[in-house]
Amino acid sequence: MALELVVVTPEGEAFSEAVQQVVLPGEAGRFGVLESHERFLTPLVRGPMQIIKPGGATEWAALSSGFAEVDGQKVVVLVDGCALKSEIDRDASENRRAEAARQLALLADTPENAGERLRLAEVAARAELEVEVAGL
Amino acid sequence: MANLRDIKRRITTVKSTQKITSAMKMVAAAKLRRAQDAIGTARPYATRMRATLEEVSKTPLDETHPLLAVHPEQRHLELVVITSDRGLAGAFNSNVLKAADRLLKSREKEFGEVGLTLLGKKAGDFFRRRRPHQIRYESPIGGDVRYEKAADVGRELARRYAAGEVDEVVLVYSQFVSTLTQAPVVRPLLPFTPPKAGLVAVSEDSALPFEIEPDPAALLAALVPKAVEVEVFRALLENQAGEHAARMTAMEAATKNTQDLIEKLTLQYNRARQAAITRELVEIVTGAQALE
Repeated sequence: MALELVVVTPEGEAFSEAVQQVVLPGEAGRFGVLESHERFLTPLVRGPMQIIKPGGATEWAALSSGFAEVDGQKVVVLVDGCALKSEIDRDASENRRAEAARQLALLADTPENAGERLRLAEVAARAELEVEVAGL
Repeated sequence: MANLRDIKRRITTVKSTQKITSAMKMVAAAKLRRAQDAIGTARPYATRMRATLEEVSKTPLDETHPLLAVHPEQRHLELVVITSDRGLAGAFNSNVLKAADRLLKSREKEFGEVGLTLLGKKAGDFFRRRRPHQIRYESPIGGDVRYEKAADVGRELARRYAAGEVDEVVLVYSQFVSTLTQAPVVRPLLPFTPPKAGLVAVSEDSALPFEIEPDPAALLAALVPKAVEVEVFRALLENQAGEHAARMTAMEAATKNTQDLIEKLTLQYNRARQAAITRELVEIVTGAQALE
């Protein structure tokens, strides 16, 4: 019996399939989950997720932060956003990253700009991860 | 008696208005369905999030989490007011804005300063004239609600709360009760109150407690900001569904009104036409009699 992986985002279910193994970006580093893993809950950070399908094929996805609920048969990943490698437009992501980085560089580091800087950094980091995942 | 041609022209105008209102109703109905679907797809995430928060809350809570801590001094209140970008939706926006304005006036006495975070063009238009100096953030909704938007707003509010710039954050938006009813609601957002155990039906597999790694405090630190974003997201989604529902109802009423008006005008037109014919006949008959 395989492991059931479900990725839930606020905009719907991004992925739901039986897999052999999944490697998730945990706060303390990447960790793999196989079938019959002990039950646990842990926060996830932004990073690539590696899915190994029953036949051995590998799929990658860019995950935003969130958390994972693991039990023996099922892994539920709750994240803000999940982009599968096949859905990523590398050039568009690269453009978004460059644009956010450019705007960030233009914005002075003052208390009034703190919120906007945070937002731009977020956009840039997300786009950068997408570029990275697209290249895997 | 009005001129025949004038009445005809008015009927044509009203008919074209009717075409517009009934088309708008149709569009609103389609968008409403989409908006309701969006609420549905967001639900599993929110429910799981709540369940997990409860799970974490079972172990003694870390009271020092900055978003859970109640600020002892109440100096700055932030109101987050959510409306739609567009009008022609009946009293939808004005209900929310009235509620927000009332809240603003009543709480101004307690707080030294009240800031406004305005989402939706109508909120911006309303407060820009009345309270231009109190606006801290303003943004249109811009098409379909995206989670990223809610995340941006939630993150910024959480940052300001944690930094001590604001001491309380309250959401004011329209709750989507049903297609016919949207009620303005006022919901406290920060300090964040974790859900009480028992609110969410416990699924059968959660009998065994989860092992939490690295520790509950770290998970809580990751969860609370997300829960704040989810609250904002939900408010945006409900606002969106409410907007389309209100517009649909308003346009339905408008279409009905144009129909009534067309009927009234048609009657008037026929009367006028009849009168003209009668007059003409009288003239002919009188003319013929004069010749005899």
